[in-house]
Amino acid sequence: MHRFYLPKLANEIISAENHIMKYINLHVSKWILGLTPFLLSFTFLVKSHIHVYMIGDSTMASYTTETAPLSGWGMPFSFFFDSSVTVLNEAQSGRSTRTFIEEKFWQPISDNLKPGDYVLIQFGHNDEVPSKKSSTTPKDFQANLIRYISETRAKNAYPVLFTPVARRIFNDSGRIVETHGEYAALVRKVAAEYKVPLIDMDRKSQIFFQSLGPETSKLCFNYLAPGENPHYPGGNIDDTHFNELGARRVAEIALAEIINQKLELADRIYKPAE
Amino acid sequence: MSVFIIATISLIFFSFTFLQKKNVNIYLIGGSTMAAYSGDASPLTGWGMPFSMYFDSTVTVVNRAKSGASTRTFIEEGLWQPIERDLNPGDYVFIHFAHNDEEPTKKSYTPPGNFKANLVRFINETRAKGANPILLTPVGRRRFDDSGRIKETHGEYAALILAITAEYRVPCIDLNKKSQALYQSWGLTGSKFYFNYLAPGENPHFPQGNSDDTHFNELGARKIAELVLAEFLKLKPEMAERIYKPTE
Repeated sequence: MHRFYLPKLANEIISAENHIMKYINLHVSKWILGLTPFLLSFTFLVKSHIHVYMIGDSTMASYTTETAPLSGWGMPFSFFFDSSVTVLNEAQSGRSTRTFIEEKFWQPISDNLKPGDYVLIQFGHNDEVPSKKSSTTPKDFQANLIRYISETRAKNAYPVLFTPVARRIFNDSGRIVETHGEYAALVRKVAAEYKVPLIDMDRKSQIFFQSLGPETSKLCFNYLAPGENPHYPGGNIDDTHFNELGARRVAEIALAEIINQKLELADRIYKPAE
Repeated sequence: MSVFIIATISLIFFSFTFLQKKNVNIYLIGGSTMAAYSGDASPLTGWGMPFSMYFDSTVTVVNRAKSGASTRTFIEEGLWQPIERDLNPGDYVFIHFAHNDEEPTKKSYTPPGNFKANLVRFINETRAKGANPILLTPVGRRRFDDSGRIKETHGEYAALILAITAEYRVPCIDLNKKSQALYQSWGLTGSKFYFNYLAPGENPHFPQGNSDDTHFNELGARKIAELVLAEFLKLKPEMAERIYKPTE
């Protein structure tokens, strides 16, 4: 999860610095200027700590155990990084680019962004359906994405755009159906125009669900038989939201793209101890 | 007159305390297939992790299962004693061992005689505290024969548990049998979706990939937990009222 401990090397450097600083304070304040470059060289060895903010909807969000096995892909994604990263999954069930801003979920993130932080942006599900209260016109959808990008960049942080993750909808011949066509295209367009790294989850997850096929892909979604699980006594059928397995597989797809595109974030992926 | 009033009031108070369900702890003791893991080990998941999510606030599931533990090492490492000490009347102890007892090559190996003696100790000490032991045969491994039939992988030690169940009249969940039936329904290939199988480069926690026919991923652990819950409620129908109920 969130790891607040520092790597061993960093601890040693900090403790070395502490010793040096004590010595300086007590005895050799006149050497301070001479020592500064030496101390600075140490701080460059330590990876700066960053925050990765995830903003999006229910397919990305975190859930309590009371709705398990419902899982957003941000939950397993937060396990993938080393101690220099804190993943803050701020995705909100039911929100669109518009309501995420209107309900003041974005402002505190924008305020808190530090240089080097990331903002992973994935919307569409609740923007694209005109019957939903959260619906956002194509024009506003683009404008909101651009706002996220601009405000992130203004803080010297990095935006990454994600197309919405696919739904489990197959046609009669067993081919997966595109369900985010228009809004996924808008995300790609904004990414190209503003030269933002794009992770095409719509496409990638369609390929993945196609590889599983109509039946097996149910293993990745929140399907439950009646009486199977106390959290869904009447059972559950859901072709949009993931269970633990689906959320993790989708998180792995996102991570693979971060590595493929050589984002700096890829240097901070968790490495098991030998 | 005043005595009558005091008696009435205290009667009312008592009736309230009876209405309130007493808190119950369910202790889970066993090995790696039941244990809890940190995010660093994910998607490796023990079935005790999802199992702890299924009860209302009157039940606390305390997962003390430990990777690699046999009945013997669980006692030797001092993992049993604090549980025994803390047990309250009405608590449950789910006893799920064998994976690390039954392998003569493992350091944790426990010969059949000692295995039985250790289980009997868990049972007796649990009962001495007015708590309820529940025996579980070990959850099956994912082994299929050439014709695609699931194979028995805990035969001898599962039989030892069943013998103790009969002898000591302990409620038992035959998880070995039940899980085998589940794996059979999933089939040779389908069952891999439930175990900790990972392709090389798929997941940073297992950079070289992983093939594991003993340990579960999130999905497998949850399916086993759901199975254990269903069997538990058959044995103890009175626990149904303590199952989590979603708010309307």
